[in-house]
Amino acid sequence: MAAQLPDMTATVLPPQPSLPSLVSGRRLRWQKISRALRLWVPAFILLAMLFICFVWPYVYTIPPGDTGSILDSSLPPFSPGHWLGTDANGVDIFSMLIYGGQVSFEISLAVTAIGILIGGILGLTAGYFGSWTDSVLSRVFDVLIAFPALVLVLAVAEVLGPSEMHLIWALCAFSIPAEARVFRGATMVVRQSPYIAAARLSGTGNWKIIFKHVLPNVIPGIVTFSLLGIGIIVILEGAVDFLGLGIQIPQPSWGAMIAKGQNVLTATPQYVLIPSIVLLIFVMALNLLGDALRERWGVR
Amino acid sequence: MALVQQIQPQRDPGARSGFARRVTGSPALQLVGRRLLTAIPVLLGVTFLTFVVMNLIPGNPAQLILGINASPQAVAKLDAQLGLNHPFWDRYWIWLDGLLHGNLGIAYSNQQSVNSIIAQYLPITCWLLLYALVGALVLGILVAVLAARKPNGIFDRLSLAVSMIGLSFAPYALALCAGWLFAVKLGWFHIIDNSLGNDPFTAIKNLTLPALSIGFGLFAVYSRLLRADIIEQMEREDYIVTAKAKGVSPWRVLVVHATKNSLFTLITLVALNLGTLIGAVAIIEPIFSLPGIGAELINAININDLPLVEGIVVVFALVTVAGNLLADLLYTVLDPRIRYGRSAS
Repeated sequence: MAAQLPDMTATVLPPQPSLPSLVSGRRLRWQKISRALRLWVPAFILLAMLFICFVWPYVYTIPPGDTGSILDSSLPPFSPGHWLGTDANGVDIFSMLIYGGQVSFEISLAVTAIGILIGGILGLTAGYFGSWTDSVLSRVFDVLIAFPALVLVLAVAEVLGPSEMHLIWALCAFSIPAEARVFRGATMVVRQSPYIAAARLSGTGNWKIIFKHVLPNVIPGIVTFSLLGIGIIVILEGAVDFLGLGIQIPQPSWGAMIAKGQNVLTATPQYVLIPSIVLLIFVMALNLLGDALRERWGVR
Repeated sequence: MALVQQIQPQRDPGARSGFARRVTGSPALQLVGRRLLTAIPVLLGVTFLTFVVMNLIPGNPAQLILGINASPQAVAKLDAQLGLNHPFWDRYWIWLDGLLHGNLGIAYSNQQSVNSIIAQYLPITCWLLLYALVGALVLGILVAVLAARKPNGIFDRLSLAVSMIGLSFAPYALALCAGWLFAVKLGWFHIIDNSLGNDPFTAIKNLTLPALSIGFGLFAVYSRLLRADIIEQMEREDYIVTAKAKGVSPWRVLVVHATKNSLFTLITLVALNLGTLIGAVAIIEPIFSLPGIGAELINAININDLPLVEGIVVVFALVTVAGNLLADLLYTVLDPRIRYGRSAS
């Protein structure tokens, strides 16, 4: 699908307006470079974080992320063997970040994938068929969006019991209606285009139109929204961990690390600052990548 | 004169029905009516969903109130007293009936009425949100106008960078980082003592860090949206060209012509986003130990206090639905192109 993307978008989106001829050659080259940088720097940061979280622990030996020796407790950053230091129980902070990052990556990607799959089918259906199908489905999305996502996530996490799998299901209550709305809006725009009318007139079946003509044209909007969505889910997941209802204590997570550091903020602020900054960089890279892709594809 | 006299008698008998037709035929009012009607099933759905979800949470509230050593008889008695021995649908119906009469029931935990608990905790949350919203709006509009004056200028790039941080900072992480910087390092604020105090100055000072934690993200969203919208207007719209052509000063074109029109979009977004503030309140208030409705909600979820959670969620859902409705209406009222059936873009 990814290989098909550029020409698919070219069919629906007007070409970028060409740059005015007043711009000098050097300026033009610099604009080209900065455009490329805006895309590749955040992409590289995300890939690097992905690599460090999932490949690094298998290539290099790192201390465990859930237990540590009490002899190494409360080491400051840049200590030998623990370059980000250790917490009060002697657990290595860098390891906690890596294992917590794995959880964040897994949960946010799974939740977004489920949201795109189920929300996509619902949104495409509502947007394409319109009339009462749209009315009924839209009301359901409205209910789920009007409902405070955090309450739902907390309640579901409490009902199902805290575990990574249950957290994923709970967060889907947020991602499914959000993705469905975006799919619906994009579908309604695409449905107006002449090529859909042409496909209908030539007797193509509804579902074939949806999957062969509508879906490829809504994908750019979905990808850029989903990148923002992943960031929101990481923050939300951190919030649930922060409140102690998500990933349980021996297993590390960024939200729980921040929550634990809260009590010793005055004495050892690095317990809060380090995971906060890592979380900030992660979400910012996602947002920047989404912005760059939106600019490139001309999605609004 | 003669013409008027001729027309007058003709219009008079039909004036009432004509007026009625004008009212019912007005696109704006039709939209209001339609939106009000669709808000009802949404609200019903939200209350029902809350009821189902909270009923699924394991643990008997009566047992929780009396403690694990309570006798089964005492638990059964309290069950009956709280109406927990009724079937699910009956309980939902009783609660809904109360809701329609403005009575949100009695909290399990301290036997106070939910109305009075919400009335007690709501003001501080309202002040906090008002502080965050007003601050974010004022700063957001100011920064957006200055940035849009010279797109890709140094101020524009700086403001985009700052708002990107605001967009990506998790509110709870921001709260603690800001708390460390401003309270621990610089000593400007207290983190622990957060009573509103008696004088407005103390109240504002104690609400500043929580409002910053909530408002920074809002500021980022508002300023980015407004900046993009103003720039687009400046480049595309005919009335900007007209204004420039007739010699209106650049500042006046920017502020009076472009910004005024872009503000409509911003106001709609503010109304639309009212609901999302709730999640932020629920996390930020406990961090700063502010006795607000968000902290109370987390507390109520933890002790499985069904009526209290439902009451607070209903208040939040009302705000969200009202915000959505308001957004639609403002859009219609403020932008004549929509009022008369043409789409804005």
